[in-house]
Amino acid sequence: MANKDILLVDDDPDIRESLRIILENEGYTVRMAANGKQAEQALLSKKPDLMILDVMMSTDTEGFDLAFKLRSQPEYENMPIVLLTSFLDKVREEGPDQFQHILGEQWPAKWLFEKPVDSKRLIKKITGILEGA
Amino acid sequence: MNSDADKTPRKRIVFKELQKRTVWFIRLRWWVSPVIAAGAVSAYIAGFEFNLLMVLLVAGFILLYNFVFRLALSALSGRGVDRERSVQRFTICQVGFDYAAVFLLIHYSGGASSPLVFFFIFHIIFASILLPVVLAYVFAGLSSLGLSIMAVLEYDGILARHPVLFLGDSIESAGSPSHMFVRLFFFTASVFIAAFSTTEIMRMLRMRILALDRSNTAVSILNEKLNALYHMIQAVGSKQKLNQVLGPVCNNLVRVVDTRALSVKLLSESRELLKYAAACNLPDSLVLKNSIVLKKSPLNRRIIEGEPFVTGDISQQEMFQFGEDLEAAGFKSVLFVPLKVEGRVIGILGGYSRQANRFTSEDVGFFQQAADLVAMAIENARAYENIEKLMQERTRFMLQVAHNLKAPLDGAVSILNLIQEGYLGDLKKEQSEYLTRVSNRAGSMRSMITELLTLARSRSDGHKIEKKSIDLKKLLDRIERTFRVEAGQKGLTFMVDCPYDIPAVSGDWDMLEQMMENLVSNAIKYTPKGSVWVDASIWNEDRVRIMVADTGIGITQQDMPGLFSDFFRAGNAKTIDEIGTGLGLAIVRETVEKHMGSIKVDSEPDRGSVFTVYLPIEVKMEREDENSCNAKNQN
Repeated sequence: MANKDILLVDDDPDIRESLRIILENEGYTVRMAANGKQAEQALLSKKPDLMILDVMMSTDTEGFDLAFKLRSQPEYENMPIVLLTSFLDKVREEGPDQFQHILGEQWPAKWLFEKPVDSKRLIKKITGILEGA
Repeated sequence: MNSDADKTPRKRIVFKELQKRTVWFIRLRWWVSPVIAAGAVSAYIAGFEFNLLMVLLVAGFILLYNFVFRLALSALSGRGVDRERSVQRFTICQVGFDYAAVFLLIHYSGGASSPLVFFFIFHIIFASILLPVVLAYVFAGLSSLGLSIMAVLEYDGILARHPVLFLGDSIESAGSPSHMFVRLFFFTASVFIAAFSTTEIMRMLRMRILALDRSNTAVSILNEKLNALYHMIQAVGSKQKLNQVLGPVCNNLVRVVDTRALSVKLLSESRELLKYAAACNLPDSLVLKNSIVLKKSPLNRRIIEGEPFVTGDISQQEMFQFGEDLEAAGFKSVLFVPLKVEGRVIGILGGYSRQANRFTSEDVGFFQQAADLVAMAIENARAYENIEKLMQERTRFMLQVAHNLKAPLDGAVSILNLIQEGYLGDLKKEQSEYLTRVSNRAGSMRSMITELLTLARSRSDGHKIEKKSIDLKKLLDRIERTFRVEAGQKGLTFMVDCPYDIPAVSGDWDMLEQMMENLVSNAIKYTPKGSVWVDASIWNEDRVRIMVADTGIGITQQDMPGLFSDFFRAGNAKTIDEIGTGLGLAIVRETVEKHMGSIKVDSEPDRGSVFTVYLPIEVKMEREDENSCNAKNQN
């Protein structure tokens, strides 16, 4: 479980900070980026085991755009991405299936959390993903 | 008055009469032979001596040619070629044969002194009614001439005489040539007087018919115009968008004014250009040239400068900027009238005709009336557009505010959660309690922002609800599951009643679910004890009725009017829950409106409320779009 590397991308410093504390508390190594560009640079220096990615940053779909870009590259194709968003009308327990119509056929990530994030659920999910992997 | 235009309806009326009378003539003639035969036989029995055999033969002759005419008529009506002339020729032929028959009868019943000569008068009357005036006089002359010739020939013995005797006495009274001459003179006078008076009466009658026909046409044109004005007023009153108004207005105008094409041109802000706002039957090339420069189009400029109307001839190319295009499209004359709002000219209503000098002063008057309507429509539409713009601005503002509020709140809540969950060290019990209170307030602020976002999104311009077939049974089952626990914890009886075969409605699942959630959560929240129930059923065959009823605190009469407004909270609701958002019912109303439904509320304070939503049942059939004249619209 330890020494897993998580890249956390969010433009809001408070959210970055609070998630970092929560994740580090679980023993993960957390690297942070405030936008898509910084995230890509961080990816180049080292491929993380998991990426947490905010959808709306400088543009409404910056997170989606980055996720789609990574999905199309074989190197990152299987890297787990957890999306964060503030602005979906509703997030249901059924998960991201509900929101397929926003993006059409494809969905760039398997997991989606609404902000502010329920830390217990997030940890549970991330642990599940990284241990299963 | 234009004689050319006048002649055609007159001819038409005469011809119609002739056609009708021809049949009547033949039918009448069937009686002539039997009457002659019966008369002749009775006279013979009564003791008159005359050539009975010849008279009967003439009667037979009449019967024979009438039979031929009857056959000819059937053949004629089958052929469409040059009908007017053939019908007239046919009539002349009939009259000719009749003349021959009458001459024969007269000859065999005493010649020029025969009592039957008066039969000619009838013939002259018929001819005067049915044939052109000249022919009536020709027939009068022929009868007079024919009789004179017969008299002379019989007097000279060239033609055999067939005198009529009664009891051995000749009934002939004209023994001498002078007597005969006087007789013939008066006979001639009688037939001509008959021809004159009958044709005069007919002429007057025909003029009356013509006048009637003309006023009939005028009335129906007027009626059409009134109808068109009515339709235009209806369009102006019932539609708010400019392109929805101008289309029907142009279509109606083009129909009644009987012009080839129409245009509505609007003045640009600089008042130097005219742009086509709508056009009907104008060539695309012209409309798509997008603007007319006033300086280059003297005719348009005159209207903008204040002339009440101008008519123009396309041949005067210097008057138009795009005269060549108009000429190429076959237009010959135009009529322009100003569109005025509060005395200011804002554009031009134009009519285009393929006739030269088509537009009369009557057209000008009607065009001006129509222009007033079009101007009113434009004014309405502009006012509506401004309101729409303001509403959209308000919505954008709401969206922006909601977005901007949510981001810092999320940050704050994240940190708050961090502290509450002990990541930054253990908390004292009291600290924890106060943080929970902060967290609760932040939570309600969040839900208010979320509702504001929902409302703003659904009101924003680009928002179109994605219509899908919604299974109400499934939706209401979900509602039942969502609220079962909450209602149970409050000790309320909670029931959802929906038949399995409830028809589907067409709509957006998320919006409809949100609507039901808002209604049911309100009902549960504002019902301290008793029950909440939801009932869905078919209503009036084409709607579904969903009722959400409770035994709660109810709504006072004075709170009713504002119930569905943004941020409205009823007085008694505040006593139950301090921190409602006042947006729940606004979202309900928005959803109902977006789904073409309606909602009503019945309530009695302290007894309960019933919210009833009516939604149209999904229509499976695809409707065809109405196809109208190619009224174009360019912004």
